[in-house]
Amino acid sequence: MQDQIMHGETILEVRGLTKIYPGGVVALDHVDLEFKAGEIHAILGENGAGKTTLMNILYGVLQPDEGEIYIRGKRVRFRSPLDAINLGIGMVHQQRRLVFAHTVLENIILGHPKAGRILDYKKIRRELEDLCRKYNFKIDLDARVWQLSAGEQQLVEIIRALYRGAKILILDEPTSVLTPIEAEAFLNALKSMSKEEIALVPFVTHKLPEVFAVSDRVTILRRGKVVKRIETKDATMTALAEYMVGREVLFTLTKPKVPLGEEILRVENLSALNDKGLPAIKNISFSIREGEILGIAGVSGNGQQELAEVLAGLRKAETGRIIFMGKDITNASVLERIRMGIGYIPSERLGVGVIGSFSLIENILMNLYYDKEFVNHGFINYKKVREYAEKIVSEFEVIAPSVNTKAAHLSGGNLQRLVLSRVIPRTSKLLIANLPTAGLDVAATESVRMRLLDCKKKGMGVLLISDDLDEVLQISDTIAPIYEGRFIKILPAEEAKKEVVGAMMTGAYSEGM
Amino acid sequence: MSRLEALRIKLERVPVLTGRQAVVISLFSIAFSFIIFSIFLFIEGANPIDAYANIFSFAFDPSLGLRTTLHRSLFLLFNTLAFIVPYTARLWNVGMEGQFYLGTIGAFAVAYSFPDLHPAILISLMLASGALFGAGYGALAGYLRGKLNVNEVVGCLMLNNIAFWLVYLLTVGGPWAGIAESTSKPLPQPARAPVIWYTPFTSYLVIAIAIVLFFFLSKSVIGYKIRVLGNSPTAAKHIGISGSRMYILVMTIGGAIAGLSGYHMWAGDPAFYMIPRPEAYKAIGDLTYWGIILGLVCLLNPIAAIPTSIFIGSIIVGATVLVRRLRLPFGLDVLFLGIISITFAAFQFFYLYKIRRMR
Repeated sequence: MQDQIMHGETILEVRGLTKIYPGGVVALDHVDLEFKAGEIHAILGENGAGKTTLMNILYGVLQPDEGEIYIRGKRVRFRSPLDAINLGIGMVHQQRRLVFAHTVLENIILGHPKAGRILDYKKIRRELEDLCRKYNFKIDLDARVWQLSAGEQQLVEIIRALYRGAKILILDEPTSVLTPIEAEAFLNALKSMSKEEIALVPFVTHKLPEVFAVSDRVTILRRGKVVKRIETKDATMTALAEYMVGREVLFTLTKPKVPLGEEILRVENLSALNDKGLPAIKNISFSIREGEILGIAGVSGNGQQELAEVLAGLRKAETGRIIFMGKDITNASVLERIRMGIGYIPSERLGVGVIGSFSLIENILMNLYYDKEFVNHGFINYKKVREYAEKIVSEFEVIAPSVNTKAAHLSGGNLQRLVLSRVIPRTSKLLIANLPTAGLDVAATESVRMRLLDCKKKGMGVLLISDDLDEVLQISDTIAPIYEGRFIKILPAEEAKKEVVGAMMTGAYSEGM
Repeated sequence: MSRLEALRIKLERVPVLTGRQAVVISLFSIAFSFIIFSIFLFIEGANPIDAYANIFSFAFDPSLGLRTTLHRSLFLLFNTLAFIVPYTARLWNVGMEGQFYLGTIGAFAVAYSFPDLHPAILISLMLASGALFGAGYGALAGYLRGKLNVNEVVGCLMLNNIAFWLVYLLTVGGPWAGIAESTSKPLPQPARAPVIWYTPFTSYLVIAIAIVLFFFLSKSVIGYKIRVLGNSPTAAKHIGISGSRMYILVMTIGGAIAGLSGYHMWAGDPAFYMIPRPEAYKAIGDLTYWGIILGLVCLLNPIAAIPTSIFIGSIIVGATVLVRRLRLPFGLDVLFLGIISITFAAFQFFYLYKIRRMR
């Protein structure tokens, strides 16, 4: 069938891979990669770096707009995951795709072409036992999947892929759902697997140290581009973290000197759950004063989103209190908070910050509709709204043919300017900005940061949530690195060293660094 | 290797659909359904052009179909509006049938209880009661969705079934049973709808409602809240709009409008002036589902719903000539309506996607 693969042979290669989503978001920008047999080649990147897109392209779920994929030197095109599977690509998803009531063996042969219509259990069992012996896997083929630990379930997925003839295994966040002991066993299994002639490609955002320990080679993606290729033996953890979250430093903004005023917000022992009902933020306490920018630095998914939502009134606090201007607002509604002068810039632009099928006027109305000034007897005073919108749109430099343009036609940077123009002028005290520059180009990023500094100058408090460490260091007065729902420390910007904060937010920090 | 060649056709999502594009797509879908139906006419040995000419000349002839055309069309308009309001918040009101039955019960209960009132008062009370009953029934589905998160489609369909049997219980051998078998007592004289230019006054009422709704949805604060919720529940939450309260509100409004159609239907057509036999009132109840298709085709614009309803109403009434006048097989008229509804639904695809050929 296929000739033997040699150790070190390039199994999969991609050249110039580019994917642009409708709306102009460049998810992948001319990515070149090579995966060799017998290697563990980790792909690192934060959320939004293009990892998921790359994974989906390699597995045939998405088609690239540009670029070529080669398997063992031959150009291929995947129309669907089936094409990818048939050409030897296996995928282990973060969410297990197993039938829990079935046995391991039944799960492995489910949908397997070799199984045919009549199952030859004896032959299949023999082949699987050989396979397990070869890779030194220990698993009971007759156990029901629900009886297995998360690590064993992951192994089942791997065996399934290998049994289908996978020569390259893509692993999506392989250790994220495993306990430390399971993870160790699993990583050992990976190591012994890589001695055979297959390529292993874990994609990683969180839990850097573990994957770092086993990989041979690391490629770091940022904003759809490969920013670094490095052999693991030459890399350090902090350097990797920096490549992952850092960004080319823009021309420096001058942070205006503003004397910090009264305390605006005080948060005491705040805890909240995520959508799955698991603790997302744990006993967080902090305060923000007038003219202060508090930067929360962290890799996405460490509780920042939940924290922002609790402060904006979108998520319930499990414990703790939120004191705003001396008043307890822990249980205040969203609208009450908006009226008190709290503004929230959500991380998601289209669909949350902005409604695509609405015109600019109607979008700006999202922060006016509750205000008597713009309403006559239950009807919106569109003349007044239009005047206001035209003024504010030009002030915030939203580039659009007119205020009647549908927001869906705006580009990323313009969309964010629209969100800012909607929220900031209607916010008097506290601005919560959740990933305000994520996915924006250099110029748009710059203008957003300027707006945040403007707010500071006007004496507002700003809570900046960002996974871009440079950004946080550049414009914050106080920095709180967050990891797994906790602030590791709260430190003044002058005392924050980049390496230390980077280590804190990736879990690589140990006392005395 | 050729097996792996990428597909040559690519679908692209249309970010925003303009009203003009929607009109063009709808016209294409109508033309398409006419072409498809022509094949069937041809197979049956009829001349398609002749058949279509007959359909529309009958439907709009003042001495023949015009009265029924207008009456049925505006009945459709009631139910289209009843769909549009909840769907603006992206709630599927498929409960117009039940709300229409409840509206019928509400209106007839008043008429049978106070048959001697002055017509103006009696009719006003009937309308109010019909709207109230329909609104309550809609609100029930809205409450189940808004507070208890019961899917509104399931809730509505079950409520429809209950409503059908409620009417049955009242008419077939029940307290409202008439002399004829399985129908209700006739409506008292003062309860019947006065006719203004070929059509009962309620037809003008529903057109007025359409215009009011247009301004309500596009200009009022509540209308704005409904639209934000419909376009993005997450965005609505972020600016302090309560989903559950809005869901109850839109279903109440929708139910009230569908409830009004109960009076319009039975008190507006001299062929009825009562609740007919179960299969007959069920057939009318089935017409309410046109509201879904018409509402979607009109992109939820209440004013655009007026001509669209009249177009479909004219075919509902006019297509009967295929059987009666052209002696074509029974059921061909229903087939035509089926083809139109399915092509309308299928062409919705082009509201969302553009087909583009890859280089």
